[in-house]
Amino acid sequence: MGIQEDILFAIRTDGCPKSTQQRLFGVRSGALPWIATLTPAELMITRSHGFRPISAVSATCWMHYGWSWTLGHEQGWNTALTRLREEARAAGANAVLDVKMRTIALHVEESMDFTLTGTAVYVEGLPSGNEPIIATVPALEFVKLLEADVVPTGIAVGAHYEWLLDWRGTADPRWSYVNTEAVQLSHLWERVRRKAHENLRIHARGQGNGVLAHVNFSQMFEGEAGEQKGYLGRHIVIATTVDARRGAQFPHAVSIVVDMHAGKTPLTGTTRHHQSYAMNEEEGGI
Amino acid sequence: MTIELPPHARERLKGLRNAAHPKGVFTSDFSVNEFLLVRKAGFEPIGLCVGSCVYHVGIQYTAWSRNQELQVLSDAMYKARELAISRMRAEAAAMGADGIVGVKLTIKRLEWDEKLLEFIAIGTGVVHGVGLKGFRAHDGGPFTSDLSGQDFWSLLHAGYRPVELVMGSCVYHVAHRGILSSLGTVGRNVELENFTTAMYEAREIAIDRMQAEAAAAKAEGVVGVDIHEGNHAWQSHVIEFFAIGTAVLPLEKEIAPEKIPDPIMVLSVND
Repeated sequence: MGIQEDILFAIRTDGCPKSTQQRLFGVRSGALPWIATLTPAELMITRSHGFRPISAVSATCWMHYGWSWTLGHEQGWNTALTRLREEARAAGANAVLDVKMRTIALHVEESMDFTLTGTAVYVEGLPSGNEPIIATVPALEFVKLLEADVVPTGIAVGAHYEWLLDWRGTADPRWSYVNTEAVQLSHLWERVRRKAHENLRIHARGQGNGVLAHVNFSQMFEGEAGEQKGYLGRHIVIATTVDARRGAQFPHAVSIVVDMHAGKTPLTGTTRHHQSYAMNEEEGGI
Repeated sequence: MTIELPPHARERLKGLRNAAHPKGVFTSDFSVNEFLLVRKAGFEPIGLCVGSCVYHVGIQYTAWSRNQELQVLSDAMYKARELAISRMRAEAAAMGADGIVGVKLTIKRLEWDEKLLEFIAIGTGVVHGVGLKGFRAHDGGPFTSDLSGQDFWSLLHAGYRPVELVMGSCVYHVAHRGILSSLGTVGRNVELENFTTAMYEAREIAIDRMQAEAAAAKAEGVVGVDIHEGNHAWQSHVIEFFAIGTAVLPLEKEIAPEKIPDPIMVLSVND
């Protein structure tokens, strides 16, 4: 079987290609060097917090939106997530840290790639037998969360779109002289956003008991829906799911520090872990 | 009339010149924090080292509908970077550096010819302040690393030392879709499997090559790995996957693992 056939077989079964499996096996057995996107500062915590880097892992799903752009995003990220978990498993990892959402700037009409990259690690003391944890936070933040008794578990996506058919052309009160709410459009937006959040909740439930949402992407268009004038509203929300015990306290005291880091300080938190939504401002198919 | 310096200042200048900086003045592109942390790590900068390579990238024709690596371009992108790095390293070796930190790799297009690219590698050569051995690369030459001075300090305090800047490149042609496969996707959300396959294959090749370099440098692992894509003004479906990182080895005796303090976690109240 050629390499491309092997990869094709793997993506059809949402698995990990054999060539990648072999390489990962080489790392597990110590024959090959480990690979980590972690910074040296993060390497410090491998000893103190008991984890071992294994390999950079990644997964891609390139979707064509013949049916729905909005729902394509839900589908695309979910597929990539499943594949990333499989690759982590093949690496003998129980967690993937520093997971970034990426889209390659290879503009092919009506389609987009959903790529997840991260570092597969083995964390001591995590309950075995569970699915590998997918943490969309860097290693330092991962251990911060662990110390606070919070486990980041995965990615949840909630997406929804809806068309509003405007039979009488009254949705946009554009000829009005007085201040007035565009009631139908308000309701459309509210429904779309609430439904997306509801989908987020449903999708998150299988992975944890809470989310930290980091992408809120929405667009509204005026256009033709068949013979009718209509409005399209769509909303995508993406979040890191966490498993947090209610009322657990963060065990550390607050102290004042001087940061020696050049440039933007890493102390203020996560670097941008996605670049997939800045470049998708143009209209897609629905 | 010459101005007489106070004797202690003269002593000091002499000391500076003779001890860590045999060539007189050190040059570096360090920031203040970086400089202080490199010295805190026990190293002294001696000079900026630079390597440059102007490279003519050859031509490779591709089948429109095929996923394939463009070997000619992959080789060019790799070879030119490698030349720039090895020249920088030769300069560092001539200075007597134990290693180079903060290596920056840049690619510049020369405006009169689109096939001509300049590859530049620049970093600061450093020596151990009291001449501790054991920091050189496996071939006895200076280590190379794209880690900043701060990261260098952190790495040593994590019980590792940098060995070599390792990288892997794969320039890949992603197949165009045929008419038939486009028609088949109307009204459905489907995965474009050949595109996904292309991403998988190209990325794996780049990682594999970087890992092979690290293995050849006898490293234990690679930190700070960055895998990114770039299109250096090639045709629209041609893309380079580039993996780069610093290969590392555990410190043998300089810092005993049990002496490494546990880091203190910080929550920022600014955001």
